[in-house]
Amino acid sequence: MRKSKLIFSVLLTGVMGLSLLAGCGSKSQEASSTSANGKVKEFSAFFAVAGKEIPDKDRVKNVIAEKIGAKINEQWLTGQTAKERIGVMIAGGEYPDFIEGGEGTQALVDAGALVPLEDKIDKYPNIKNYLTANEWEQLRKPDGHIYYIQQFGKTRGKDSQVQHRDEAFWIQKAVLEWANYPQIKTVDQYFDLIEKYKAANPTINGQPTIGFDILCDDWRYFCLENPPQFVAGYPNDGKAIIDKATLTAKNYNTIPEAQKYFKKLNEEYNKGIIDPETFTLSYDQYKSKLSTGRVLGMVDQQWEFEDAEKALKQQHMDEKTWVPLGLTLDPNVKPQYRTQPAFNTGSGLGITTSCKDVDGALKVINDLLSNDLLALRWWGEKDKDYKVDDKGVFYMTDEQRENYRNQDWRQANQCRYAYFPQYGTGYFDDGINCIWPEQQQGEFEATLSDNDKKVLNGYGYKKWTDFLNVPAEKNEPWFPIYSATGGWSADDPQNMAMLKMDEVKKKWLPKVVMVGESDFDSTWNQYQSTLATQADLKVYEDALTKEVKRRVDKFKN
Amino acid sequence: MELGVKDTKLHVKIKTKKNIIEKMKKQKTLIIMSIPFIIWVAVFCYAPLIGWLIAFQKFKPAKGIFDQTWCGLDQFKILFTDPTFFIVLRNTLCMAIINLTFSFICSIGFALLLNEVRRVLAKKFIQTVSYLPHFLSWIIVTGLVQMILSPDPGIINQILLGLHLISKPINFFADPKYFWGIVGMTNVWKEVGWGSIIYLSAITSINPDLYEAAEIDGAGRFKKMLNVTLPGIKPTIIILLIMNIGNIVNAGFEIQYILGNGLIQDVSQTVDIFVLKYGISLGNYSLATAAGIFKSLISIVLIFIANRFAKSVGEERLF
Repeated sequence: MRKSKLIFSVLLTGVMGLSLLAGCGSKSQEASSTSANGKVKEFSAFFAVAGKEIPDKDRVKNVIAEKIGAKINEQWLTGQTAKERIGVMIAGGEYPDFIEGGEGTQALVDAGALVPLEDKIDKYPNIKNYLTANEWEQLRKPDGHIYYIQQFGKTRGKDSQVQHRDEAFWIQKAVLEWANYPQIKTVDQYFDLIEKYKAANPTINGQPTIGFDILCDDWRYFCLENPPQFVAGYPNDGKAIIDKATLTAKNYNTIPEAQKYFKKLNEEYNKGIIDPETFTLSYDQYKSKLSTGRVLGMVDQQWEFEDAEKALKQQHMDEKTWVPLGLTLDPNVKPQYRTQPAFNTGSGLGITTSCKDVDGALKVINDLLSNDLLALRWWGEKDKDYKVDDKGVFYMTDEQRENYRNQDWRQANQCRYAYFPQYGTGYFDDGINCIWPEQQQGEFEATLSDNDKKVLNGYGYKKWTDFLNVPAEKNEPWFPIYSATGGWSADDPQNMAMLKMDEVKKKWLPKVVMVGESDFDSTWNQYQSTLATQADLKVYEDALTKEVKRRVDKFKN
Repeated sequence: MELGVKDTKLHVKIKTKKNIIEKMKKQKTLIIMSIPFIIWVAVFCYAPLIGWLIAFQKFKPAKGIFDQTWCGLDQFKILFTDPTFFIVLRNTLCMAIINLTFSFICSIGFALLLNEVRRVLAKKFIQTVSYLPHFLSWIIVTGLVQMILSPDPGIINQILLGLHLISKPINFFADPKYFWGIVGMTNVWKEVGWGSIIYLSAITSINPDLYEAAEIDGAGRFKKMLNVTLPGIKPTIIILLIMNIGNIVNAGFEIQYILGNGLIQDVSQTVDIFVLKYGISLGNYSLATAAGIFKSLISIVLIFIANRFAKSVGEERLF
């Protein structure tokens, strides 16, 4: 009896041990790419951001697989940070075929996990033409190799964006309608309009009207700290403003425009226009407040509150959603809220040393960038997902539009390979069809609500981006300078200076807005002197200036 | 007396060698059974301490731990010259002491009161309800706290306004003076029921004869509580106190991180947040590790002091 128990337990332990080993074994098999001769090649990919996997029976995924003879099985980050997950991969030394390391990209490069691409890309015209010579140069690491392809921020031909995704001052459509579509150019005009509207409409849907909200939760406090650069007429360089003549970087906390802007905010706060709770709201509270439709305006980037807009649209309160405005302090200053998309050199799609078929992998990227494949990825199958009229213009029927709006349907019938090289805006080779259905003028107009049409007609605009400046033909060679800070290492003094600067600003900026009007000047001076003593602004600015000059030397031509 | 003690010690020493082998033989099974746990402790508690070396280096994540540039005590120097570090240290200690006192007194008091409830069903019900918040994550709890204290539709402000105690809603998270209190109260609300479980179980092990004897002596319920129950659970209280004191520098992370904001960062940031900011955001793992080591050192010192204290008052202790 006893013996049999013992045998049984030994067996059990053995089986369990084996099953553990088996688990390890099968996992490593999955990771390697199997290229069955002549059949569909399967590649694995990992992206160090949260995302949704495309199911294997996805319709368009299989159409693409048939067309290019390859299929990509994507995996996304879950429950870990990018750095952690990449660190584990490096420690194990096994990678998927394709990888986008996000914040762990530099670690992948340092670990020698990525295959150098610079000698290979010439063979693949779509890849080669995807980036300009300049941009390829920017991606080159100090060791002379190019390890990854940045897949975002590219325009194909002309910019076709209809919605402003970046930062702006936003104002409720209802307010503009109420005031009979005035042109708002300055911060003063903006708050003046909000004041008048709030006085005329003290409650919205039974709750008190909120004039203006500034999100200030953790890293999202850029909504509070960076508007001085915009209202002074500079683009979103993020960490500093750059003087074009002298090519020097200057932090925008000490410029006179900053003082003017915050003095205005202080005035509005004391008038009760700015939400008294605004600096202590969490991101979720902010979004839920916006979703009630009683917030007249805010300064923010559109992707932060698009959930609130969706919620408002669902409740048929289109008039409570917002329109972007490019405000400045001085009406004679030209605003620069819109720019060409920023090119992020810090990360991108790379091919790893674990990939057994590097040329096959590059061919996949090349194919995915062709006209037909871009259409398949963004529009879907012709006739099934969209139609083409006799002039060659793409359009959708009402049913197709309905499908396109339905997230569940998209999950089963769309295959964008969303972290492979792509275009954020622009046109196919025919020059009439946009890559993104949302940006196609016909589709945009067809899906507008009546209220939205009224607002656009009120101004005589065709799309939301018309409310802002037309972006310059080309970004400055240093733009955006904030990308330089990612390359600073931990013990660089400018890094510490930046952290200290942020600490001081996080505490003092809400303070200067919240003090009584008579105390503003003294509080502002206190803030300025704290900033000067606690953060080494000179080291910080010098480091950025150096980077500006380096980029100008290297990329100007 | 003194002599006696020394004598025994000597005696033990001589006997030790022979005894130990004999004892080990006798307790062979016990020793074998404990081996996995010793390995566990070594692997998961002591082996990671190799990472402390990072504090004496200029650590770059891409390189191995022994290929780094060594920098001696530089990181500690930076740490101790940074005024922020002392602010976060002060916050940590103050919030920990507030938490410890509040939750200690409340848990014991709650256990004593609950013990006096006569109806078993009512007692069980109250106990279950009281420890449920323990199972909520901090994200949810802080969400509740933010809602309750919000100046916009928050219930506390509505009550205060309704009673005409204030004329304008108070923004509790904009004024540094409220923060520690909020953290303390939230902790009590979340943990009081859970903390009282252990005291309740200690109370059940008190010999009922003592209560009867006290009754005969004419003690009422309050007197019994004071003179029988409380001394009965004193050893448990002391042990828990020592253990909690060792934990004092872990004043928490989530609650301060989520409830804190720029306006009150001078009182809301703890050592853990400091470590996160400098270690992860800034990428200065060495400095973060140095702060962590310093934190552990304080912990050890505090444990020793508390243990010493327990010893001197003649109570049960850890070692």
